Amino acid sequence: MTLMLRALREHAPSILVAALSSAFGVSLISITGVLTEVIADADLNSETLTFILSFIAVVFIVIALYVGALVTANTFATIIAGRVRTIALLRLIGSSAAMQRRAVAREGLTVGVIGALLGGIVGVLFPVVVVGVGVAVGMIPDGSYTYATATMLLPVAAVALTTTAASWVGSRRVLSVSPMDALGAAGEQSIGEQTARRTRNRVALLLFLGGNVILGVAVAIGQTSPLAVLIGLAGGILSFSGVVMAASVVMPRALRGIGRVFGSSPTARLARENAVRYPERSARTTIGLVIGVTLITTFAVTAASYQSIIETAQKEMPGVYEGVGPVLTVTVAVFSVLMGFSALIAAVGMVNNLSLNVLQRTRELGLLRALGFTARQIRRMILIESAQLSGAAVAVGLVLGTFYGWVGAQSLIGGIPGSPGIVLPTMPLALIGVIVVAAATLTVVASIAPSRRATRITPVAALARA
Amino acid sequence: MKPTSTDLGLVARVAHLHKSYGTTNTRVNALTDVSVGIRRGEFTAIMGPSGSGKSTLMHIMAGLDTASSGSVWLGDTDISGLDDSNLTVLRRRRVGFIFQSFNLVPTLDISGNILLPFELDGRAPTAEEQAWIDRLIAVLGLTDRLRHRPHELSGGQQQRVAIARALATRPDLVFADEPTGNLDSRTSREVLTLLQTASREYGQSIAMVTHDPVAASYADRIVLLNDGRVVDDRSRSTPEEISSIMLGMEALS
Repeated sequence: MTLMLRALREHAPSILVAALSSAFGVSLISITGVLTEVIADADLNSETLTFILSFIAVVFIVIALYVGALVTANTFATIIAGRVRTIALLRLIGSSAAMQRRAVAREGLTVGVIGALLGGIVGVLFPVVVVGVGVAVGMIPDGSYTYATATMLLPVAAVALTTTAASWVGSRRVLSVSPMDALGAAGEQSIGEQTARRTRNRVALLLFLGGNVILGVAVAIGQTSPLAVLIGLAGGILSFSGVVMAASVVMPRALRGIGRVFGSSPTARLARENAVRYPERSARTTIGLVIGVTLITTFAVTAASYQSIIETAQKEMPGVYEGVGPVLTVTVAVFSVLMGFSALIAAVGMVNNLSLNVLQRTRELGLLRALGFTARQIRRMILIESAQLSGAAVAVGLVLGTFYGWVGAQSLIGGIPGSPGIVLPTMPLALIGVIVVAAATLTVVASIAPSRRATRITPVAALARA
Repeated sequence: MKPTSTDLGLVARVAHLHKSYGTTNTRVNALTDVSVGIRRGEFTAIMGPSGSGKSTLMHIMAGLDTASSGSVWLGDTDISGLDDSNLTVLRRRRVGFIFQSFNLVPTLDISGNILLPFELDGRAPTAEEQAWIDRLIAVLGLTDRLRHRPHELSGGQQQRVAIARALATRPDLVFADEPTGNLDSRTSREVLTLLQTASREYGQSIAMVTHDPVAASYADRIVLLNDGRVVDDRSRSTPEEISSIMLGMEALS
């Protein structure tokens, strides 16, 4: 029973992530379906609109799945790191590494299925409520809409599969656990996690640079044709894929950079090192947030720059661009919420990672207490670690998003009549404010549980033998 | 007026110390009416078989754990009534630790580990302290290792770093918890000789918890515990003598 409880506690965050992804997927399909019916009834240009809506839904579901998988793989890797001794013991008494890894993947499957089903149920119910409210306030015409279709099984199945796959990827460490680890005082291991990734980094650099060249071309062509935005989209995907691929190189640097902001007190220095001691892990922890922030910023900066270019053009040629503003604002708001969902999933991952991290550092934290770290200094250290993670993710996301968003606006309408040509990106200050506040909140929230746990560790923990 | 610890030549002392764990039904007495003093400048070994209470005694003397009843002094400070933050500052300034599993901070290099107690105190070492640290580093043969991380060093080297860290602040008392428990016999001898030298030449008071008669034979004085009581208190002895006393204790219990 206690074993079950422990497993549940370990896996609760992964179940939550799977449920969030699945709920998001199912309700997005459901709401898209309802909208399609509304559009068909209103007899608008339905075919094209339906296609665009479905396409957007699929894109957002894929992003959420991807972020969810990253988070889950990371969580599993962290859980495995904490289980090294148990796994080693099982290896010692004759279990094979492959058997152990399959066992982890089975846990992943269980987590995925439970999470996907729970999320599926929420995902079916949620649109019913939303549409109900929509009908009540008169935004949506009354009618009998279909809330449950076979298509909705797709995201549910996809979540179960990606969660299993993520647990498989995250459990790679199992293979390197030696039965000997059960005998010694398995202390610090992990260094050397970074191996043979040269090729991967080169490919990533190539993608990033190549993508950026294409983005430059898009800006140039955008001076004459709005179709350049499609070239820009391709360039953006390539360039951003490069960044995501090289996350384990990019993120630790960003983390160090952000870490300097907190000064050079021992608390800050230790926090800085802690945040980058497992480069792979911190990269995986933060990249989900980077994706979320980049996407939101890209859309917002595109929209803001678009608007300011239009405004300038309007002064040149009055009367041509009436009524563009409101549509744009609504679009950005809707997209931000949809993408905010992926950011939420990533945030769950960060909170969880920081918690597990502290749990696995019991002995070290006990040592610091024995040597004279006060409980307050420990709390501060963890808060700074947390701030570094969210700060680095937001900083990288804002920089990339601003760049991509600017290219987006330039390539789309850089050549419209009355356009000022190539201008600086316009920053949507309100949205940046929201992102920064959200990041600060995440920082504090993520550090609460680990801090409480860490300050409860007594110095005697450091002296415990083996 | 009662004599202070200093008058008695003691750097730490406990009087009528009791420590028990668990509730009334499952109560385990880890220490029963223990009164003992650690003499200034001496290398003292606290010995006893597993479960004798030697670790508990050390934890309480170092301000890591609290007593059920009785008094605990570090120097002339009564630490039994101190709260967590005062105990923390006390440990930082007046106590040094050497652990069985070395316990260096993995994310700091060797130099960072040695200077950590000063950093925690929010100050840089004074010129005099720096000279002392440099000397320690040279004597311990760590000069070429200052920029390395702990995992790049052998066990013996890591333990030397821990010794340098413990001695750097010239604490009133250094506690060593089975400092040779994870080392081979040759490295163990080196580490024990270093502790002995620190005590003899620099007058450093050291209290070492161990169950190894060879390790204890390096100490000036041996306090033996069994079943939570002090059962013997003797001056420097050979490993053979210590072993036979330990065996005798086994027979009695």
